[in-house]
Amino acid sequence: MTKTYKPAEPIWCAGCGDFGVQGALERALIDLNIAKHDVMILAGIGCSGTLQNNVGTYGYHALHGRVLPTAQGVAFANPDLTVVAVGGDGDGFAIGAGHFVHTVKRNPNLVYIVMNNSVYGLTKGQDSPTMDSEGAAYGLDATRLALSIPGASFIARGYSRWSHQLHELTVAAFEHARAKRGFAFLEVLSPCVTYNDTYASWDSMLDNVDDDPNYDPTNMSMAFTRGVELDEVGRMPAGIIYRNDNAVGREVPPAMSKQNLDPAQHLDSYGKIMASYAV
Amino acid sequence: MNVTTKPGADGGDAASVSKRHLSDISVMVAGQGGDGSLTIASLLSQFFASHGFHLYSTSNIASRIKGGHAAAFLRASVEQTGCMGDHIDLLVAFDDEAVVNAAPSMAADGIVVFDGSKGPPPEGVLAESVQVFSVPFGRLAVRDLGRDLLKNCLGFGIVSRVLGIKDDDAEGSLRKRFQRLPAAVVETNVEAFRIGLQSAEEAGLELGNSPWTVDSGEREEHLMIGGNDALSFGFLAAGGRFYAGYPITPASEILAWLERRLPAFGGVAMQAEDELSAINLAIGAALTGTRSMAASSGPGFVLMQEGVSQLGSAEIPLVVIDCQRAGPSTGMPTKVEQSDIGTMINGGHGDYPKVVLAPTDQGDAFEIGAYATNLAQRIQGPVIIAMDRALSQDSTTVKPFDLEAVKIDDAKLLSREEVQKLDEYRRYLITDDGLSPWAVPGTPGGQNLVTGNERNEWGLVSAEPKNRKKMIDKRERKIESVRDDLPKGARWGDRKAKIGLLGFGSAGPILVRAGIRLADAGTDVQVLRPRTIWPVLDETLAFIEECDRVYVIEYNNAGQFAHVVSGAGADKGKMVSMLKYDGVPFRAVDIANFVLEREAEGQ
Ligand SMILES: Cc1ncc(C[n+]2csc(CCOP(=O)(O)OP(=O)(O)O)c2C)c(N)n1
Ligand code: SF4
Ligand SMILES: [Mg+2]
Repeated sequence: MTKTYKPAEPIWCAGCGDFGVQGALERALIDLNIAKHDVMILAGIGCSGTLQNNVGTYGYHALHGRVLPTAQGVAFANPDLTVVAVGGDGDGFAIGAGHFVHTVKRNPNLVYIVMNNSVYGLTKGQDSPTMDSEGAAYGLDATRLALSIPGASFIARGYSRWSHQLHELTVAAFEHARAKRGFAFLEVLSPCVTYNDTYASWDSMLDNVDDDPNYDPTNMSMAFTRGVELDEVGRMPAGIIYRNDNAVGREVPPAMSKQNLDPAQHLDSYGKIMASYAV
Repeated sequence: MNVTTKPGADGGDAASVSKRHLSDISVMVAGQGGDGSLTIASLLSQFFASHGFHLYSTSNIASRIKGGHAAAFLRASVEQTGCMGDHIDLLVAFDDEAVVNAAPSMAADGIVVFDGSKGPPPEGVLAESVQVFSVPFGRLAVRDLGRDLLKNCLGFGIVSRVLGIKDDDAEGSLRKRFQRLPAAVVETNVEAFRIGLQSAEEAGLELGNSPWTVDSGEREEHLMIGGNDALSFGFLAAGGRFYAGYPITPASEILAWLERRLPAFGGVAMQAEDELSAINLAIGAALTGTRSMAASSGPGFVLMQEGVSQLGSAEIPLVVIDCQRAGPSTGMPTKVEQSDIGTMINGGHGDYPKVVLAPTDQGDAFEIGAYATNLAQRIQGPVIIAMDRALSQDSTTVKPFDLEAVKIDDAKLLSREEVQKLDEYRRYLITDDGLSPWAVPGTPGGQNLVTGNERNEWGLVSAEPKNRKKMIDKRERKIESVRDDLPKGARWGDRKAKIGLLGFGSAGPILVRAGIRLADAGTDVQVLRPRTIWPVLDETLAFIEECDRVYVIEYNNAGQFAHVVSGAGADKGKMVSMLKYDGVPFRAVDIANFVLEREAEGQ
């Protein structure tokens, strides 16, 4: 076996929520028996954007905010790969917000895990778009944003402290994308103990819809209503918020990366194109 | 101005027109957007193409789709020129505005065919020596055939008489041009054409008494193609399979061409939500080993620059195209300029290796497109192609492409088997030529980390000073390893001439025309049209070295290319800049006069 890089040790502060996200991701790869060479983890820039170094798969460190376009390029070009995009809430919902909207709309077959800590951890604690700073700015709920975009096929929220559920949600997200149902968006509340320790408040704010027998995640209007109702009382949903098991993920011509490029094989077709310009 | 409406009408008759036998003619057809000026131009193209002429065609259409003034230009010449002529020989004007716009460029012995439906042509605009045939062809089309648009075929009838084209010959061209239309439609157009012949006759343009006659050329079969199409084709032929872009003038043809053509070859062109997405989508595809490309024009090309820097740092192959237009900012989107040279060379932040190539003409765009696609794989980094408005969108006749000469060079891309044979694999292995073997995702044992952060050979982030220096040096060596292979420029003229003309892209063919004019005036020059803009090749420095004086001719205000060349070591004292930034292409006559005046001053 060829020796490759030795996965890095995480660089996160003790207690950072991102440890839980990495753990869930590694367990999902094992549970689903996915070979590491068939996985590509692409990461944004931030504390969260170092996860790809720690797992032993193919990894790519994207530009800040551009992890989704890059991950789609990979997924479209080689649909045999399991493509995972990870990043922070600043990366995904501030500088990369435009791409988030268009990715949901395109519904490519990939997993997107956002580690939401409501701050910019790496740049030392500035507010992110999900920070609710009492009147000064409203916190963005990206699960509701995603719900409002036609094409949405899998929307979930986990909490890094609820490791059992987070593991299940991660597996479900992988299954959705690998079954070619499309874009699996998993937001994980992942506290930044150094700049915004939200463990206590998130412990008390979350409402686990997975435990509610009356909640139907395939019912989009229920998903909307629940989100709004909870918001009105200062709470938010966790679990699988919405899923469309009949969705068909966007696949552009199969495996661009595997095409026969030999010009000799295409001389006839290229010749025809050229003939269309003949004068 | 001589206006002829019918024989013997005051102002002159057809007989007084200077007789010309044309082997090189520049035509302008202009009117309101909906007038269909393109139709007459394309009918003329059809005629000249089947008579062995070389063609060059361009248009001048306001950004508005409907309405707004539009002009189509055509040059037909027995010799290949690759650019418009210095003057308009023949103007077909659908309205006064067309006459006013064309007047400054009209040849002194030119001819105007004017649609006099709304009255005579404007007074005092054209030189006395210009002959005008005013025929109300718009009104006739409505009166006799009930459709205004048929004035195009009517007008073509008149034009064919001006040029002394045999009626059958002209009709044949018209039928060929419309061969895909329903028979009834073709017949109506032919009828309009015949009415045109009749009204030409009434205006004194009898057959056998035409003011001009046309030569015939001996061109073999060529392609009539625009630079954006040719470039896209080159990319495809060299194995390009993924493209992402966002609509922008004058780059949109690339997106359209590849959207249409790639799927048949298992590829795809995507319209992204913006240029940031476009280049990163392309980066994603490139990471899988797929040969990829992104293109834009100034404003979008600048948005892509963080990505270009990433390509350089993270060592990802990608072709990035800048179809330059007049800047700064939104500038003049439909006008020619070469003012992004600094951006193409230094647009991204930090030190990173890059190559900037410039096709010499539309045909070369195919070659450069194919070459760049291979080169990007080879250097695992950005290869930028400098296009410009004219090169991108104007069409001209070029030799058929040598499809069989296109090869796929996979350079250091590792196969599954090759990876399996390795004891260990380091993505950023430091090598003599700076190039590291490359394993793509999905390859067992090739797992690696690709990052724009400085890192060690394993791809793990490192800011260790010694490592940092080694990595920058390694990446720089990649350019040195391909330098000798980079495309050499096109040359014209006697290598011993002491005066040089230096310019690239769509300025190039005009430099050659200027060279011919100068030679006619007794001043020998040599011309270099570089195809590699960055790095500056030795041939460019040697060219300046060997000349006493070099005129650097470019479309911008700052002399950007001259700065790049002098920055690379060329003697500034020998260089004279000739700059144009009014959005209008150079004319050979102006370049020649500029050189003659400067040379006279120097003596
Ligand atoms: C274009 C660009 N702008 C700014 C930065 C600086 N920057 C690095 S990480 C970051 C924010 C990270 O916040 P988030 O995405 O929430 O990740 P976290 O660190 O919280 O995990 C910023 C602004 C950058 N790297 N690139
Ligand atoms: S700064 Fe915050 S987000 Fe970053 S590693 Fe530390 S705890 Fe985690
Ligand atoms: Mg954050």
